[in-house]
Amino acid sequence: MAPKLLSSTNFKSLFNSVDTFLFDCDGVIWKGDTLIDGVSQTLDLLRSKGKNIVFVTNNSMKSRRQYAEKFRSLGLASVTQDEIFSSSFAAAMYLKANNFPKDKKVYVIGGEGVLEELQLAGFTGLGGPEDGEKKAQWKSNSLFQHDKTVGAVVVGLDPNINYYKLQYGTLCVRENPGCLFIATNRDAVGHMTDLQEWPGAGCMVAAMCGSTEKEPIVVGKPATFMMDFLIQKFGTETSRMCMVGDRLDTDVLFGQNAGCKTLLVLSGCTSESNLLDENNKIEPDYYTSMVSDITKLMDSP
Amino acid sequence: MLNRTTLVSSSSVSLLPNSKPFFSVKAFSGFRSSSFSGGIIRRIDHKPLRVMTPNMTPRAMAAQQLENADQLIDSVETFIFDCDGVIWKGDKLIEGVPETLDMLRAKGKRLVFVTNNSTKSRKQYGKKFETLGLNVNEEEIFASSFAAAAYLQSINFPKDKKVYVIGEEGILKELDLAGFQYLGGPDDGKKQIELKPGFLMEHDNDVGAVVVGFDRYFNYYKIQYGTLCIRENPGCLFIATNRDAVTHLTDAQEWAGGGSMVGALVGSCQREPLVVGKPSTFMMDYLADKFGIEKSQICMVGDRLDTDILFGQNGGCKTLLVLSGVTSISMLESPENKIQPDFYTSKISDFLSLKAANV
Repeated sequence: MAPKLLSSTNFKSLFNSVDTFLFDCDGVIWKGDTLIDGVSQTLDLLRSKGKNIVFVTNNSMKSRRQYAEKFRSLGLASVTQDEIFSSSFAAAMYLKANNFPKDKKVYVIGGEGVLEELQLAGFTGLGGPEDGEKKAQWKSNSLFQHDKTVGAVVVGLDPNINYYKLQYGTLCVRENPGCLFIATNRDAVGHMTDLQEWPGAGCMVAAMCGSTEKEPIVVGKPATFMMDFLIQKFGTETSRMCMVGDRLDTDVLFGQNAGCKTLLVLSGCTSESNLLDENNKIEPDYYTSMVSDITKLMDSP
Repeated sequence: MLNRTTLVSSSSVSLLPNSKPFFSVKAFSGFRSSSFSGGIIRRIDHKPLRVMTPNMTPRAMAAQQLENADQLIDSVETFIFDCDGVIWKGDKLIEGVPETLDMLRAKGKRLVFVTNNSTKSRKQYGKKFETLGLNVNEEEIFASSFAAAAYLQSINFPKDKKVYVIGEEGILKELDLAGFQYLGGPDDGKKQIELKPGFLMEHDNDVGAVVVGFDRYFNYYKIQYGTLCIRENPGCLFIATNRDAVTHLTDAQEWAGGGSMVGALVGSCQREPLVVGKPSTFMMDYLADKFGIEKSQICMVGDRLDTDILFGQNGGCKTLLVLSGVTSISMLESPENKIQPDFYTSKISDFLSLKAANV
């Protein structure tokens, strides 16, 4: 069914059928470090009307705690850590849920957020941002060493990607028996800054697929792994949830896979023409320009 | 004399216990003594040759161990050799290579060297061959760095357009020789970016092609630059020198290969590249055309199944796998392996030691 433009005729029916709003962050709440207009008022309004709010982001650079700080620095102090579900958190939870042994290590190609979540879950992480300074040596007599106790490689967005990290991760996956290859997410590009898009985790993950010839386990959207936590938290059915995001192949697909309602906003990486293009096969229930349209429509008769 | 091919390939050759085999074992060249049990014929001096039994899933004709080298040599006019794992390993020459190449030349064979390694230009490879004491002409060498430049020439890539390079010096040198303007390369490995409000990365709108290959100086700046060109410059080409997952930079271990850098760009652009290196047949078509050779007159010799052997098969020539590089006999014979060369042998100097069989 074709996506409906959110308007005064259909807004109330959406609003009344949903108890929990799930918001993506990049391109929905903020762009890089710049808050999108009207977001703060809209979140306050939804809370005042008794709606639950959570944030589900594929960006693994920060931990939930670091995201809560970012929300606070942007003037959204009402958002607490346990309302945030980042893919960094998802990676640590995946290992926990699958009883990853505590005596094995995790090699991280990604940001601090992943390392912090792993540590909080009781796991030992290696790599991360500091390996961005390391250079590989290729002389006849020297061997590139890697820790044989690494049992999982977690790959996420990494602006400090380099050959050293790719080689380290590749050796772990190819040579450590049973080593897991986990991707926080596979977004191709994202709004890391307000002015343009930048390569996303999908890039680092595909680099590792290229050298390991393996496909990863994906914990972020559109995989529904994180939804299990949300259901547990609210005890409601997914049909009473609405996923609000800017990306069709992660946010909207995630919502659809989990049985939620879906609302696409055009304030991020998807334009109206992308949405309505005949080659696009992913159709959200509704779409609108930006989150603050919710405030406008709430006030309309 | 029974054709060995029939013995190895067909699932109709079933050696059920107690059934009478329909060929004479004594007629099978290469045997000193013959005895078999179940489905395996044991050969003295050689590895056991597995014969199809009714329980095995029929698959592509299994590779034969090279027995009669002279027969193979006489049946082709040109030998194409891969380099890493065939001629050398890292910077060490493999045993018996110079004498083998000399013997082939003495027999009037044309020799060509095709490597996916794009770090050097053909001229630089020529020097490497020279340093190792091998008599090889620059014109006989086809590296994937050369292939990228040759490809752009073959499509008349406009000289007023630029090429952005995510790769090493070899590519830059070849583009230069072919008269193309380039940007990027190893120097961009030093460039940093800061993801902060108001920061915009500009890119040259005249870039009409992005060439991606093995790159030890890979970083986010280059990925973004290449991504912007491919996504935003109308008609911009996305060319990969090769997609090898791993490569033997040193002879001691494997290293993440060009497939990794190319993978990164595929991940951010969501587009597949045009591959000019093996197993794509671009280089085969190029040299067949250049030297006026029939593909059936060529034997491809390599150590890697998914690049060298597939390249030879895609090109329609004979294929010989050598076990002096990355592929072992168990990898060749693994049920997961779907690529079967015509022949296999330990190393190319076997051409000198294997003689026509005595019956």
